Amino acid sequence: METADLSHHISRRFNEDLERVRSKVLGMGGFVEQQLRKAITALVEGDSSLGEAVALDDHQVNNMEIAIDEECSRILATRAPAAGDLRLIVAIIKTITDLERIGDEGEKIGYIASRLATMERPADKYREIKHLGRVVSEMVHDALDAFARLDVDSALRVARQDRVVDEEYEAIQRQSITFMMEDPRTIRRALDVMWVVRALERIGDHAKNISEYVIYMVHGKDIRHTSLDDVERELREGQRAAGAAAAPSA
Amino acid sequence: MQPATQAWGFAAVRLLGTVVIGCGVGWLFGNPWVGLAGALALHLVWVLMYLFRLEWWLRHRSYADPPDPGGVGGEIIAQVVRLHRRKRFHKQRFVQLMRQLQRSTAALPNGVVILNAQREIVWFNRMAARLLNLRRTGDLGMRIENLLREPEFARYLARKDLSNPVVIRQTTPADSYLSLQVVPYGDGQLLLLVSDVSRQMRLEAVRRDFVANASHELRSPLTVISGYLETLSHDPALDSDLQGPVAEMRRQAERMTGIIRDLLELSRLEETGEALGGEPIDVAALLALLRKDTVARPVHPRDIRVRVESDAQLIGDEPEIHSAFSNLVDNAAKYTPAEGSLEMRWWVDDDGGHFAVSDTGMGIPAEHIPRLTERFYRVDAGRSRSTGGSGLGLAIVRHVLQRHGATLEVQSTLGSGSTFTCHFPPGRIRAFRRPVTTVSA
Repeated sequence: METADLSHHISRRFNEDLERVRSKVLGMGGFVEQQLRKAITALVEGDSSLGEAVALDDHQVNNMEIAIDEECSRILATRAPAAGDLRLIVAIIKTITDLERIGDEGEKIGYIASRLATMERPADKYREIKHLGRVVSEMVHDALDAFARLDVDSALRVARQDRVVDEEYEAIQRQSITFMMEDPRTIRRALDVMWVVRALERIGDHAKNISEYVIYMVHGKDIRHTSLDDVERELREGQRAAGAAAAPSA
Repeated sequence: MQPATQAWGFAAVRLLGTVVIGCGVGWLFGNPWVGLAGALALHLVWVLMYLFRLEWWLRHRSYADPPDPGGVGGEIIAQVVRLHRRKRFHKQRFVQLMRQLQRSTAALPNGVVILNAQREIVWFNRMAARLLNLRRTGDLGMRIENLLREPEFARYLARKDLSNPVVIRQTTPADSYLSLQVVPYGDGQLLLLVSDVSRQMRLEAVRRDFVANASHELRSPLTVISGYLETLSHDPALDSDLQGPVAEMRRQAERMTGIIRDLLELSRLEETGEALGGEPIDVAALLALLRKDTVARPVHPRDIRVRVESDAQLIGDEPEIHSAFSNLVDNAAKYTPAEGSLEMRWWVDDDGGHFAVSDTGMGIPAEHIPRLTERFYRVDAGRSRSTGGSGLGLAIVRHVLQRHGATLEVQSTLGSGSTFTCHFPPGRIRAFRRPVTTVSA
């Protein structure tokens, strides 16, 4: 398995370097997850100070991205990793970009939340946003779990989940348009809500990207811009072939 | 005679017999040495075959049915079988013990995760798997912070002192609060204890909200009552019989306002749990202000000293620190007779900054000291009511200090006075740099 590659290296220092940078990425992920959760809470509960705090803390995400980026460059330059290690570094560099974007979207939501807190709240208390936010947070969480465990199955599940988010996005959009037509006074608020929903939808896309990097990292396959069913079939076949190859030697 | 000695005896006799017979037969044929050599060779072949059988058995040990080749070999096999039985007995006992241990840890209502020095998961029980969403086999060898990514947990791990558990909020699989504590043991290994504290956290939140809401709701009617009482007490037409009661009502209404103000202050302090950065505070100026306030009291100790031994500044939230210090000074002034003395002291050393208030009051009995900072805790019910405190002062002090990473130390001798000391960590202290503007002014 590819997982074993990470723990069996000739150079222990190299191993530790890789592990450390991996932990850093996941630590950054944990921070981003929390930012996202706080931003959604701020919006749903109308907590303007929490929303502002989220927007203010975003620079920490940027600092983490820069630090991890530097470390990756250093590893590339000094260790010249190959095969699985190289894929790990490449996947990390891509993952932190997506995490940073998630952080930016979270900042946006926090900022809008602090503004929406001063406006009248709708009767449904942003129930749809709460639900969508939950789905998206879970996606980010599961994508990072898949990254930590190098778990292709979970990664594929996350990638599939993106379709649910897109449908939900459409539904909220239609609903907002109805509200705006019914009562033009709500247009301002509805527009802000649309920004938030759009941000959440984008976060879902980023989570999907991260799970694609996991598949790339484990199998060395680039599955971007291919249909998920094809990917799954191909991976299954790959596994079967590997199993068949392994069977006679056992 | 022991069987082993017996067996060795037989072996010796057999060898001697072989030698004698070999020599005898050789002597009959005219050459005893050839006979001896032939006999010894035969004996050697026999010994080798014997050894072969022994080794063959040892290789394919079938303990259930050990052969008995007799002699020394039989003894060796008997010893091996005995050793094996003993080993099997110990092993079974060990396995049983392990199973019991595992069953008991699995039944624990708390999650337990064993981590090695690299913080990789070595073992965890069922509850830990449920609470932390861990996978039975796949997650062994994984670094804990890779799966438990909450920033609070990372900060907790980076801390030196792990004795206070950290509470994190989890949204997957269910929205819950988990209390995590790491206990180092053995050779750099760590024990991570996990418990679900969602219920406590929710109850705590309900309690906090209730206190805050109730205090808030009580404030408005009380303002009206106080307002009318004030007008009434200044009314010259007020019946002289009623003047005393009205004055008393006014005092009590004021006291109630104080209690509600303190309750609101406390719930605000609780609401924003974590320590904040804050700005540098000029402690000398703060203490001078507190001294002025104390002197302004109708009854105050005659001798009030302020000793500022360092011009280092304290980093914190100024209104909160002011409230905490003034509560301490107020208490000291309240319980010190007019002829007594009161001292405020500020000093800085390697352990950080320290603020102490000493008085020469009646002191506090030792058994009350640990409970002093509880809400509404009274050392002497009758006496405290007469001094008109809210009973929340020290609770506020404790919360403010907690938020600043500081601790409160109380020393008291009955009859000769008490000292309340606040210890601030070195990170909260900054050497004073006189601003340019004040120098030129």
